[in-house]
Amino acid sequence: MEQLKQQLRQMQENFEKTQNEQRQQIEALTKKLDGLTSQRQAAAISVPPVAVTTNQFNKLNEKVDQVVEAQKKTLMSEFNPAIGLVGETIFSYRSKGSDLTGSDRPGGFDVWQRSLEMVASASVDPFAKGYAVINASADSATSEATLAVEEAALQTTSLPGNLELKAGRFFAEFGRLAYIHDHELPFVNRPLALDEYIGGESQSDGVQLNWLAPIPHYVSVTAGVGDHFGGDSPNPDHPGTFRAFDGLNFWGRLSTYFDLTPNWQLESGVSGLINPKTEDRGGALLQPNGISTLTEKERRLAGFDVKLSYVPLQNNQFRSFTWGTEVLYSDNRYLSDPDGVPGSADEFDENVGSLGLYSYVACKWSRQWSAGFLLDYVQNTQNHSDVTMDFSPFITYALSHWNQLRLQYTHTDHNAVSGLHPDDAIYLQWAWIIGAHSHGWQQR
Amino acid sequence: MKLKLLFVTIIALLCAAQVQAAKIRVVTTLTDLADFTRQVGGDHVEVFSLATGIEDTHGVPMKPSFVPRLNRADLVVNVGFGCEHAFLPALLEASKNPRIQDGHPGYVDCSIGITPLEVPLSTDHSQGDVHPYGNPHYMLDPVLAKTAVQNIYNALVATAPEYGADFARNRDAYLAKLDAKIAEWQQLAAPLKSVKFVSYHEHWPYFAERFGMDYLGTIELKPGVDPTPRHIEDLVNEMKAQHAKIVVREPQFPEKVPALIAKETGATLVKLPIMPGGVAHTDTYIEMMDYIMHTLVAAVQK
Repeated sequence: MEQLKQQLRQMQENFEKTQNEQRQQIEALTKKLDGLTSQRQAAAISVPPVAVTTNQFNKLNEKVDQVVEAQKKTLMSEFNPAIGLVGETIFSYRSKGSDLTGSDRPGGFDVWQRSLEMVASASVDPFAKGYAVINASADSATSEATLAVEEAALQTTSLPGNLELKAGRFFAEFGRLAYIHDHELPFVNRPLALDEYIGGESQSDGVQLNWLAPIPHYVSVTAGVGDHFGGDSPNPDHPGTFRAFDGLNFWGRLSTYFDLTPNWQLESGVSGLINPKTEDRGGALLQPNGISTLTEKERRLAGFDVKLSYVPLQNNQFRSFTWGTEVLYSDNRYLSDPDGVPGSADEFDENVGSLGLYSYVACKWSRQWSAGFLLDYVQNTQNHSDVTMDFSPFITYALSHWNQLRLQYTHTDHNAVSGLHPDDAIYLQWAWIIGAHSHGWQQR
Repeated sequence: MKLKLLFVTIIALLCAAQVQAAKIRVVTTLTDLADFTRQVGGDHVEVFSLATGIEDTHGVPMKPSFVPRLNRADLVVNVGFGCEHAFLPALLEASKNPRIQDGHPGYVDCSIGITPLEVPLSTDHSQGDVHPYGNPHYMLDPVLAKTAVQNIYNALVATAPEYGADFARNRDAYLAKLDAKIAEWQQLAAPLKSVKFVSYHEHWPYFAERFGMDYLGTIELKPGVDPTPRHIEDLVNEMKAQHAKIVVREPQFPEKVPALIAKETGATLVKLPIMPGGVAHTDTYIEMMDYIMHTLVAAVQK
């Protein structure tokens, strides 16, 4: 018992001793630390502050601005082209077979990936920009995708005298909708008159010069030359081994614009195309009697277009109205062969004048919804008695700027001369865009 | 006598035309920039604004009648940060005026020197029509607007250095006036401190930061994308939970949905311009900011 008490006393003494020693150490260290802190503060006070001059500050500010500007520039990958992809699928039902309607798509139910377009564009140098549109569309018979260069052109950006030159493959400026890609049309299908007289889009391999008149009023003049005209034009030409100057296509357009009121706009233009020697475009075309043929020798086309638009300044994303009309007159010269036997001395030259037009209205009542009505009328370029008409109400729902659905009903009538049957069709078009997209001047 | 009169008239007209031609021709995209250019340029500039004030800053119609004006312009003054991407690049291309193309001295980007807010991490369209360089609506912060004034001054001096002294005097006078108004607006904005609000489009982050307001979100689902019923429901719940007091409708957007949200949440609906001329009696930038400040303060104190 006594031994245990002594042991406890000893331990308490040891503990107190250790505690005292550690306290002394802590106090010593604290003093040392205080001393060092004081020394450091004194040293800091003794160093004169660095004076930042306004000039230095401005330079620093300038550097920060440069970094921000550089960031802005590199964000859009200045050295790489802006690339976008446009997809368009058409779901349709047509009441008659293609043998009865002359359509290149089958009757009944049809799903058609009409196009998948890749668009790339960028500045080439300080003087020009380049762009290309590569289109993959499904073949109607095999469903195999066909890759085609729809456009690939160079366009100047700094020519003097209000001039702009475009060269390569491009959609030539002719009329109002001929140079618009399918998915940008205000309705599902390209108007019949454009298909018949131009051959779909106004595609050409050539060169085009545009001039903006240097006056306060908007007047634009375009002239171009190319080896063919029309993207879907059948068998563009037969130049053989040598194409003469008159084998080229020449076109021109004059357009102007008026502000009727701050909200109402009127645009109008006239266009013309001539191919003095068409190199037998399309070959000898068999006529409905199954015997005689027509071979195109000269192509001449004139057009007038007008567009009246209500584009309210305040809420044009939510309200708008457009009425557009284009009238085309084709006056082609053909070599007519009544017996269909070349060189039988019964051939003669024949001019065929034919008329086509389309007219449409489109009305937008919210950011997402719009609707309209299209009327088409066209006479066959080879026989103006062969007439086709159609009308198409349509409604469009844009989920967003890049995702759009359009429902359209089309009733087509052919007259007796055509030998084709009337039909009804329902189309549902779904178009979308990914990647870069531009709000181009032509699509306004 | 008649011939003499005709001769004098022709000479006078030619002289007038000469005086007119001597002016710097400036086209601005928006009306606030037009106001600043007139303030700094004074009698030496002839200013035309593409917008009248009531348009969407991203959706000014591309009228061909703008093209001849741009064709003859010495300067085109724009907000920058991609604000005008839907109309300006196409108009500039159509103008065939190399002097004012992007990267040339006549292209005046007023965002230079401004650090943007809300620079997106991704420009994927799932985020809507985002601006890759950041939110472009810095003009609603009057302090940042001073940078735009300075950028316009720099461009005018570079174009016509012979009028440099006039431009400097005009700029200094206008900035002094603006500074005085900024101090006044700061005082006026005291009741706006920490007030929570929503707007139709993302116009107000710079304004909110300057005047201490709390910007909860937008009625649009994403920039340029209309709201869905689900989004409206979420926004209403968020506004109720956060006690949001104000719903801002910019003039170019329809009133129906903002009014519905205001009614559901008990917040006050206000219509605020985003550039001069957006509502009546806001012909200048200062008048517009006056209108915005007084309208908001009145709404909070309601």
